[in-house]
Amino acid sequence: MNIVVAMKQIPDLQQIRMRNRQPSLDGVPYALGLIDKNALEAGLQLKEQSGGKVILVSVGNEEVEETMKEALAAGADEAYLVLDDDLADLESSQTAVALAELIKKIDDVGVVIFGEGSGDNYSGQVGPRVAEILGLPQVGCASHIEVNGATARVTRSLENADEILEAELPMVVTVLGDINEPRIPSVTQILKAGKKPKQIFAGSDLEIGLAGRAVSTISNLAPENARKRVAVGSVDELISVLRAEGFVGR
Amino acid sequence: MEFTLSKEQLLIQKMASDFCEKSLAPLAEQIDRDNQIPAEIIAGLGELDLFGLPFKEEYGGAEAGYDCYVLAMEQLGKVSSGPAITISVNCLGLGAIDKFGTPEQKAKYMPKACRGEHLASFAFTEPGTGSDPKQITTRAVKEGDHYVINGTKRFISNADYLGPMVVFATDDESGKPTAFIVEKFCAGYSISEPWHKIGYRGGNLLDVYFKDVKVPAENVLGKVGGGFPVLTYGIAFGKVGISSVALGGILAAFEAAAKYAKEKTHRGEPIAKFQAIQLRIADLAMKYEACRWLTYRLGCLANDAKDPMLFAKEAALTKTFVCDNYVEAARIAVDVHGSYGLMNDYLVTRLYRDAILGPQVEGVADMQKMIVAGVVLNS
Amino acid sequence: MAAILVYSDHEKLAPELLTAARLLAGGKGTGIKAVAINNAALAQDLAGRGAETCLINDAAILAADTAAVASALCQAAEKLDAAIVLLSSDRRGKELAGRLAQKLGAGSLADVSGLKAEDGKVQCTRNTLGGATVAVQQIETDKAVIALAARSFEAAPQQAGGKVSELAVAATAPSVRLIETRSKASEAVDLQAAEVLVIVGQGVGKEDFPVAEKIAKILGGEIACSKPVATDKKWLPEDRIIGLSGKKCKPQLALIFGVSGQVQFTVGIRDASTVVAVNNDENAFMLQMADYAMVADAKEVLEELNRALG
Ligand SMILES: Cc1cc2nc3c(=O)[nH]c(=O)nc-3n(C[C@H](O)[C@H](O)[C@H](O)COP(=O)(O)OP(=O)(O)OC[C@H]3O[C@@H](n4cnc5c(N)ncnc54)[C@H](O)[C@@H]3O)c2cc1C
Ligand SMILES: Cc1cc2nc3c(=O)[nH]c(=O)nc-3n(C[C@H](O)[C@H](O)[C@H](O)COP(=O)(O)OP(=O)(O)OC[C@H]3O[C@@H](n4cnc5c(N)ncnc54)[C@H](O)[C@@H]3O)c2cc1C
Repeated sequence: MNIVVAMKQIPDLQQIRMRNRQPSLDGVPYALGLIDKNALEAGLQLKEQSGGKVILVSVGNEEVEETMKEALAAGADEAYLVLDDDLADLESSQTAVALAELIKKIDDVGVVIFGEGSGDNYSGQVGPRVAEILGLPQVGCASHIEVNGATARVTRSLENADEILEAELPMVVTVLGDINEPRIPSVTQILKAGKKPKQIFAGSDLEIGLAGRAVSTISNLAPENARKRVAVGSVDELISVLRAEGFVGR
Repeated sequence: MEFTLSKEQLLIQKMASDFCEKSLAPLAEQIDRDNQIPAEIIAGLGELDLFGLPFKEEYGGAEAGYDCYVLAMEQLGKVSSGPAITISVNCLGLGAIDKFGTPEQKAKYMPKACRGEHLASFAFTEPGTGSDPKQITTRAVKEGDHYVINGTKRFISNADYLGPMVVFATDDESGKPTAFIVEKFCAGYSISEPWHKIGYRGGNLLDVYFKDVKVPAENVLGKVGGGFPVLTYGIAFGKVGISSVALGGILAAFEAAAKYAKEKTHRGEPIAKFQAIQLRIADLAMKYEACRWLTYRLGCLANDAKDPMLFAKEAALTKTFVCDNYVEAARIAVDVHGSYGLMNDYLVTRLYRDAILGPQVEGVADMQKMIVAGVVLNS
Repeated sequence: MAAILVYSDHEKLAPELLTAARLLAGGKGTGIKAVAINNAALAQDLAGRGAETCLINDAAILAADTAAVASALCQAAEKLDAAIVLLSSDRRGKELAGRLAQKLGAGSLADVSGLKAEDGKVQCTRNTLGGATVAVQQIETDKAVIALAARSFEAAPQQAGGKVSELAVAATAPSVRLIETRSKASEAVDLQAAEVLVIVGQGVGKEDFPVAEKIAKILGGEIACSKPVATDKKWLPEDRIIGLSGKKCKPQLALIFGVSGQVQFTVGIRDASTVVAVNNDENAFMLQMADYAMVADAKEVLEELNRALG
């Protein structure tokens, strides 16, 4: 059984500078999303438990190949990548279609693991969409995964309760950032990452017609950084402020 | 000329900084306070191949080159100097064995120390001298197929860990310094209590006593009477590590000062608005960039050092420049913090104590300048 | 225009969705339909808030089975001719959003904190780039699935005109089996996890601490303090200190009484979403670092707040 881990290349958030409240991505290197690393770690732990290979899938521009070295260094065995500068900036519905196509090319898939949200957009839509496209059972916000033969037991951690669920494989799981502590690759693993097997596809290799963007961004600005500094004259006023902000009266 | 890092270099840098963030930073204050590195930190650094980063795979190293070594050490030095210095000294000892050792010596002594299971030492300094090899008083007397070593070494890093120690002693045949590989804690080897030093805490310094220590003749490192090149060339590679640790300190000082300048306010304005603070931040930026590229360059030169004297000169000038600048940078960072910078709650106090060590170790600054001047004026 | 469908299995969040739907409809006659699955009480509650509510009763549809819930809602949307589906952006809702959107062929967004109809399209306000920016994103498809962040809208008030009717959908085969549900035990004090912090400084007398603590409890939060309150005065334990030498927290709300606002303190609440400060010195730096600043005596404000909230 192989474990597929979907990972997204995102701009290194720490290096984004704001100019006139506009985020400037010029010269900002790419990195792996934080929760995607938890997804990979979950995959590696499953492999240690039940064998198979950990295969990572990703869609993006040509840089993805370099970015994914980090994941290969951390222990993924192989990568299936769609590299196409035209596919650099897909939104969730398009990414899901492309990833689903890639996953179909992989044999003997057991668990497909996603981070619960990407580091940049954090909408958490891709994993459930892929599950729907592939017609697979899904469990989101997982805090524990355990494979037993042809089924998996997954704990979904909700705000106020944990649900322990069982499903037939293959299935899709999205993991929480606190499911594990991702391992740090050693120097030797980093130096060997570039030599691991890779299947690289261009956008035109996939038999998919990507629909247009289902979501577009109209504006994207840093919030006004100063505090509002609204003067409050009385306790009544304070209470109405707290009520308006949703802290009172719930 | 290219001033960009490869993906592998970036990943090694990031790996080191990830380890620091996750494991080392939370313990950095404790290491400084207790003057002790927890065993799990040594184990963690070993798992990441950080103890033998520049050395060949066949001898247990990661074979990533001194360029990558510099990048990783800078990150460690930024967060906690003790573990960083421990690695630096390990690589100093191993570097000497790597450059001058026989294949048998390398196979015997390098792999465990590359994994951090053992730690190498390099013992030159004595109570009577730290700068002049002619004055060493430790003696090695040949008796059949082995040597008997007697003497005292002072301020020896990693002397409290198992592993090989490169010891400089005057041998009775040549009457000149010779380097020997001694297995620490063999019969006749003993150590003092750790010295209570001002900075680089956790990287322990001890005095080492050799009382009739028997060393097989095959443990001579390099030639009999050939200790001098082992010392100068070996220590030149050690300076790659020392420079990187200091560079990390400069970065920490720079970041701490810039952060504080933006947070601390006077009359409702961050002190970063004051020109006097801005000039200091600019000084720190200049120091960091200058030291950074000088150190990175030294890492690249170390990968491919051909002329030992020329490399020794580059190492001496880099180490001196970077360590001196660290002292100034730490002082500037304290100034930006005002009196708060004197309170142990702020990182800059530790940086200030660490910085002051750099110019003294692995050859005092004055001696480094003499090396540089010697090469410049003789060519 | 097609209808707006709202669904959440969360009793507190579903009424907020109703408010959002009404704002989006903007009185343009767009029908708003609420859906509840296997939860008659929630259906009644929504109807009491004036919503035309469809109750799907089918024990085969497990809330934990995202595929099954998505299938039921997809059928409901088709039957009710809904083009926009509003969900709650709690963990369940976010997970559901992607699957449902894919079924409907809809664009989807989660963690949305604001909504606007613009030329027949929906524009959503939400954080991106890890919270560094606030983006306005427009859903371009005819259909939209939007998961709304908790507390972005007020709960819809009680009003007449609602009713509950049953809606039948074809159940799909279950995709997961629920083995066990374990409710989470509430943990010991964890300032960093608290959504609300009531923070007291040296400007608050010890006798007022019980009141401050009570207000913290009413607001569902914890009491915390500046450093001298714990280390010098020892009025609270040191694990309640906020700041450089204490905890750095990101509460939704920090209510700060009698703290001067030195940087060593403010680094600890820099990431709070909303800061309210009360100080009797109008020049106190803390007031400049606040969203809502009140120049007043901390004791009086605490007591009045307690009376008003308690
Ligand atoms: C953290 C740390 C780690 C260390 N680790 C090791 C180790 O692992 N192994 C080891 O062998 N040593 C180690 N040392 C010792 C260190 O290398 C020596 O202390 C250093 O080389 C200086 O020697 P010294 O203290 O005897 O100074 P000295 O040699 O006495 O020098 C004192 C001053 O005299 C002047 N001076 C001395 N000789 C000359 C000269 N010929 N010409 C001009 N000026 C001169 C210089 O200005 C110098 O500043 C360590 C020290 C520290 C602090
Ligand atoms: C190295 C170092 C680390 C530090 N770390 C921290 C830390 O982690 N956390 C921390 O909090 N501090 C820390 N401090 C201390 C910090 O600098 C301040 O001294 C401290 O935050 C002040 O606490 P305070 O605001 O409660 O008291 P004060 O500065 O005494 O302020 C009291 C405030 O209450 C107001 N006031 C008085 N009476 C009333 C009233 N009746 N009604 C309303 N307002 C009133 C006053 O106007 C004043 O603004 C640190 C200091 C150092 C040197």
